[in-house]
Amino acid sequence: MKRRRGAAPEPGCLRVWAAESEALAGRWRAARCAGPRGAEAAARQQRGAFGELLLRMRGLPAALPALPLELTVVYNSLLFVMGTSDRVVEGEAEGIRQGLLRVLEACGSSGQDLSTEELWQKVLQELLSSAEDSGRAPCSRGENKLLALLKAWRVPAKGASTSLVQSAENLKETLCTAAAFLQGLQELEAGNLPAALSLLQKAAGGFCSKRVLAQIYTCLGCCAQQMGKPQTALQHLKRALQVDFQCLPALSHVAAVYQELGETDAELQALGLLYEALEKNPPSAASFSPYFLIRTELLVHTPILTSLLRRRQPSEVKYLLAQRCLQEGRVADAVEHYLDFLAVLQEGLQQQVPLDGGSALPRIPEAFLEAASALEQDGRHRDAITLCEEVISRTTDLIPRALLLVEEGLEQPESPSPGTGLAGGLLSQKRESLHCLTWRAAAYLHQGWAWVKLGENKEAITQFSRCLSELLRFPLCGPGAEPRGNLLAEVEVLQKIRLLSLIGRGTQFLELGKHKEALLDFQYGLQVSPGDPAAASYLVQALWKLNRKQEAAAHWQKHLERPTGEDGQQEGQGRPFPLYLVSCVKQAAFPQRESLARSIQDYLRTMSQDPFS
Amino acid sequence: MAAVPPGDGEHALPYGGEVLVLWLAAAGAGAGAGRAEAAAELRVRRMALGAGRFAHRSSGAFGVRGRRRDAGIVCCGCATHSPTGVVLPCVLLRRKKRSDAVKYLLLSLHGSNRFELSCQFELDYELKEDVRLFGGPSVLWRHADRLFYISPDTRTVLSAPVQLSSVVWAGEIEGEGTVVLGVRTARLRESEAEDELSTSDRAIWGTEFFGYAIEAQKMLASTCFMPHAYSRVVSSVHVCKSEMLKEQLRTSVVAVTHKNQLIWFQDGRPKGVCELPYEKPCSIKTAVTSGNQLLLIVSFASGNICVVRSENLQVASKWQKVKSVLVDDFVGSGTEQLLLLFKDDSNADLLNTFKITDLGRVNYESGINYEDDVPAAEGLQENGLLTIQALEKRLQAGLTSVRELQQHLGLKKRVLTESCRALIDLVEERSHVLPTAKKEGLVSLWDDVENPPHSLSKETSSTSKVPDHFVEKLWQRVVGESLVVGVKLTESFYLSLSDVSLSLVVDQDFSSISPIIECRNKIIKLNKAFSALSVSSCQIEPPPKKMKLDLHSKNDLKKEVHKKCSNIHLEGAKTVTAVTSLSPLLAFHCVCCVVLLHAKKQKHQNDGLQKSKKITLLCGKILLSLEDISNGKYSVKMLRDSSYCTGSMEDILAVLAASMRFSFQIQSSDFTLTSVNSWLLGEMECTPFKECHDHIFCHKAGNVYGTVFNWTLKSPFEGILTLFCRSLTVLFQCLHSLTRVLPPSCDVKLLKSGSKGVLTEQLALALEKEMLTSRTSLSSKESKAENSLTRQNEPGKNISDAPVASLLDSEDKVQQFRMKLQNEREESVLNMNQTMNGTLYQEMTLKIAEAQLSSDMIVWRLSKS
Repeated sequence: MKRRRGAAPEPGCLRVWAAESEALAGRWRAARCAGPRGAEAAARQQRGAFGELLLRMRGLPAALPALPLELTVVYNSLLFVMGTSDRVVEGEAEGIRQGLLRVLEACGSSGQDLSTEELWQKVLQELLSSAEDSGRAPCSRGENKLLALLKAWRVPAKGASTSLVQSAENLKETLCTAAAFLQGLQELEAGNLPAALSLLQKAAGGFCSKRVLAQIYTCLGCCAQQMGKPQTALQHLKRALQVDFQCLPALSHVAAVYQELGETDAELQALGLLYEALEKNPPSAASFSPYFLIRTELLVHTPILTSLLRRRQPSEVKYLLAQRCLQEGRVADAVEHYLDFLAVLQEGLQQQVPLDGGSALPRIPEAFLEAASALEQDGRHRDAITLCEEVISRTTDLIPRALLLVEEGLEQPESPSPGTGLAGGLLSQKRESLHCLTWRAAAYLHQGWAWVKLGENKEAITQFSRCLSELLRFPLCGPGAEPRGNLLAEVEVLQKIRLLSLIGRGTQFLELGKHKEALLDFQYGLQVSPGDPAAASYLVQALWKLNRKQEAAAHWQKHLERPTGEDGQQEGQGRPFPLYLVSCVKQAAFPQRESLARSIQDYLRTMSQDPFS
Repeated sequence: MAAVPPGDGEHALPYGGEVLVLWLAAAGAGAGAGRAEAAAELRVRRMALGAGRFAHRSSGAFGVRGRRRDAGIVCCGCATHSPTGVVLPCVLLRRKKRSDAVKYLLLSLHGSNRFELSCQFELDYELKEDVRLFGGPSVLWRHADRLFYISPDTRTVLSAPVQLSSVVWAGEIEGEGTVVLGVRTARLRESEAEDELSTSDRAIWGTEFFGYAIEAQKMLASTCFMPHAYSRVVSSVHVCKSEMLKEQLRTSVVAVTHKNQLIWFQDGRPKGVCELPYEKPCSIKTAVTSGNQLLLIVSFASGNICVVRSENLQVASKWQKVKSVLVDDFVGSGTEQLLLLFKDDSNADLLNTFKITDLGRVNYESGINYEDDVPAAEGLQENGLLTIQALEKRLQAGLTSVRELQQHLGLKKRVLTESCRALIDLVEERSHVLPTAKKEGLVSLWDDVENPPHSLSKETSSTSKVPDHFVEKLWQRVVGESLVVGVKLTESFYLSLSDVSLSLVVDQDFSSISPIIECRNKIIKLNKAFSALSVSSCQIEPPPKKMKLDLHSKNDLKKEVHKKCSNIHLEGAKTVTAVTSLSPLLAFHCVCCVVLLHAKKQKHQNDGLQKSKKITLLCGKILLSLEDISNGKYSVKMLRDSSYCTGSMEDILAVLAASMRFSFQIQSSDFTLTSVNSWLLGEMECTPFKECHDHIFCHKAGNVYGTVFNWTLKSPFEGILTLFCRSLTVLFQCLHSLTRVLPPSCDVKLLKSGSKGVLTEQLALALEKEMLTSRTSLSSKESKAENSLTRQNEPGKNISDAPVASLLDSEDKVQQFRMKLQNEREESVLNMNQTMNGTLYQEMTLKIAEAQLSSDMIVWRLSKS
């Protein structure tokens, strides 16, 4: 014993570990100030080093004196694992569980087969059995439990925490923000808007990075918009952009709010700005922020956030601009945007077109047809014809000779057979062919009307006829055999195209003086769409020109004696037609309704006065 | 040193590249019934690898006196034969005698298959625990927590003077001879035992290692092998290297533990850990294979084996259902291999199913199925993966920086094109219009600076007279070393003053000192309303921004704001304080001071210009006696009342006045600044004053107690922290503590004289004033000059007024034009030579100089901030 007393005290494992842990934490504190790249490498190194230290510590029986240090190392190690991965993974839960088991081991009990929650309870019982029950949070009724618990967490004094790689205080604040943000998003998803608003506001007051704050403000904006407070929404979105201009989703929400408010100018400007910003700032990869290992970004991952913060593609925004201009009747702007959009498509289709469900982009031929429609309204008929030619040539090989099977396809979904998967596949194939047919027919239709505008009646008739012969591939359903089910919308569009084409050809026949052919077309058109005011008007006119005045009057009385206002309403009631058909519908409207009405009424009057003439 | 567990009675022992199979047989081979009763005979069979299988080389036998039934092999191994110094195979045999005593024979096997009896001894118990052979040959064991051994010299049973719980290793150590490494209950020094917080391994884990040198019969320091902490978990140890260097024992030790770890120790320090793939490791041995690779072979209780490479401590290979593993150079390659003998259901030969490998080039097996042979490439693969990840990251980083550069270039290009456009416009004399975001109808996303119509209804307080009652309260406080005297003025009076200050004059006649007391003056503004920041919690939908053009509503708004502001103006703003050092005054024991107020009173003149007059007013007297101070009559009382700090307004003002004031602008580039607030409320233990919520009082014990903070956030990323502290030390303490909680890339700047934003605004106003002053004075001069001078030309006849082109039609007209030009020139020369009234000039220059002085002052402050 004498010899030992003289010797210097050997360095105990605990002291060695403590020094090592301290040194690692110190190295990290130095490294994280060195900039993101060095820090990221350092973080990976530290993850390994702390993991190894923990492994060594766990190689010895757990002991109460070593427990604080061991838990510190567990904490640091877990932080590094989480901080260097993209998101929270399952591994951490096991790490925490192991830590709890070690605590129990040190206390002389075990809990191998307890769930993690039970483990926590047991650990707290073991450790706090003597301490006063101070951990209970003052949770007032109605207040959010998790947030209240987090807020009530009294972080231990700093003295023990110098070797922590992220202070507990900081972790607490990060957790508070993340919890409020996540719960706010949950409430938003559940439609509980006031609750969502207050939670998100709490989150916005918490500790987070600029990027996250901008995201929270964006969510607040969406929440306010859904609550019917567009001005508040605009304020929140403005804040989001002020905090971080890279938060471009906020800008697209701004456009949406302006659209809701009917402020088209502002909306278009917002979209334009968004497009410019997208062009200039390609999406940057999430940068590694080395200073804090646990960040709100790591903890908040929900589908709703992803969808709220979806970053639009430049092509998408360009299309939206074009579409909105066309919808609002700003034809010249629409043409510009459509041409830009088509140019973007030419540049590189793969990169530009997002394929996920949330995209605003339509099918490409539809965009072509819309562009053609815009060109036509802008008076650039030949360009419109060229563009339609493109659609026609692209769809030539895609349509089967006849769509006889359509009927089967229509009926199948009504009977829920076990083979719905197969039927569904068949259906989607049918639907696709139907779409191709629709586009092709619509392209011919547009060409027809464009020739009409150019005064080329014969060319117009040719195109209308082509359109109709295309449509013959799809047999006309009689008014009794209404197609039902999934393909109803597509069939309705097809019928509309057929009607517009018939009217178009009819008018051209009228102009060429071929009244009989015209009459046939109009009659056919009325069959396709009974009660259509334009077709009926033209029919009356054709009859009139054929000098079949009595019939004309009868038809007039049958179809058209209602005031004009009602017709408009009726048109509005139906399913909205694709944007590219709107111009054709306008063109097909009967122009001289008043004069026709006058002549019919004159005729009727004379007839009633003089029934025998 | 392989001790093979006695299985079917056959023991395998590697020796010189051969495998020795040892077993006990009945002497007269063959006779079945009497075998157990027959005399026992120890037999050995030397097997060597040849033609793909182990072939019998030679054999030998040794007759053991006694029945086969009573005899048994305890263990076998290799040990140095001391007479020759050669390492020989040894066998320890047990033979029960008729009494309860057991006789033990230690035999060594010579090259000619001849057994030699090294020693024999008799015990009254059976050897069971920790039996080990060591050089001599000799044997040691543990019984009843004592260590016994046969002395190699005297061949008698000795016991070591030590109580132990297990032996983890026994072997040769250079300079010490045979050393036993064991575990025993920790013996704590008195000081250690008493100290509950001792952090030594022995105190924490309760057991320790000890070393015992058998030849020298002495205890050794054992910490050069492993830390004591591991004595609780170690199950088997192998000392790979031990050498004396400068009288210090240097060791490399590898150990396996109950925690399923393999740990590598260098000079008593753990250097590496390997998690073992199976439970309950029981023994460890090593093999040196080709390329001087050290393999660590761990056997588990379940019969599993795993091999760990020593250079990276990664599991290289593992096998199950292994009967035993032997290490030697079986193939004769010059380095060692592992011979794995697998458990076989058929009761066939021990060497029937085997595998020889060095985890390198040598790989040989007897053609049986074995399982779980995992290729060793895992570690390498992982390394490769990590490298690729690192390379990927580097690539990404490169890409982002390229993008940044591109962006930067784009920006520069834009600036250039914009500048070019501006230049072109300039050349072509067009007015250049800067691109603006704001167009009609669009509500700007940014806070656009508005210039509201200046419709401030200035209240023309023409009270040039001093009201009778202007002092609301006169008070005094003692804060530390200082005396604070405060004068609270009535609001209307206060508003009419500027440049307010106090002075203290000793009332009594002390001829020895100057009656005027030096003091510092302060006016501290406090806001009572709590400034709530972050997101406005108002649930009311604001009106659309366009409405702001509506002037009527704007006026209403303005009024409201005014009301609010006037509410905010609190007593603090109307109180003027003077601070002076207390101790000189106390020298008089009792002193009476007169408090004087100095100020400039504003007068409004008819032309709107303000003129100020200096005034001095008597506010009252204060009486200061040592007795009152001792009784604490004037001391500041700050109490902590749940979440508030209560103290009278005077107390708060006194503390603020007596402290040093420092303002810091804190700007964070990436993270919100919530940590400042939690630092104030948490670590600094601050509570807000009940009287004014935005100032908070630090209750933290120690030096920083009594410091007052004010934290005002301008945005989530910018705020101003104002500290009122007693001394610079306290300031540095607070700042040191603060820097630890601030997020990264935070910019903390001392604001010496107001924030930059405020100063800039002030400068703008001052410059504007300067300009106005010169303009008004000049115009006044001109008007006066015009009055005095009789001007000859009539207004409206200037050349510039008439269209020039029409004048230049004919020669006459040109002549006319010339005349006019001449006239005008003369006139202007005349104008330039105008004289000016001296007093007017004086007044003018004074005004201009004053204005310039004030703007210069602001510029100076701005340049210092």
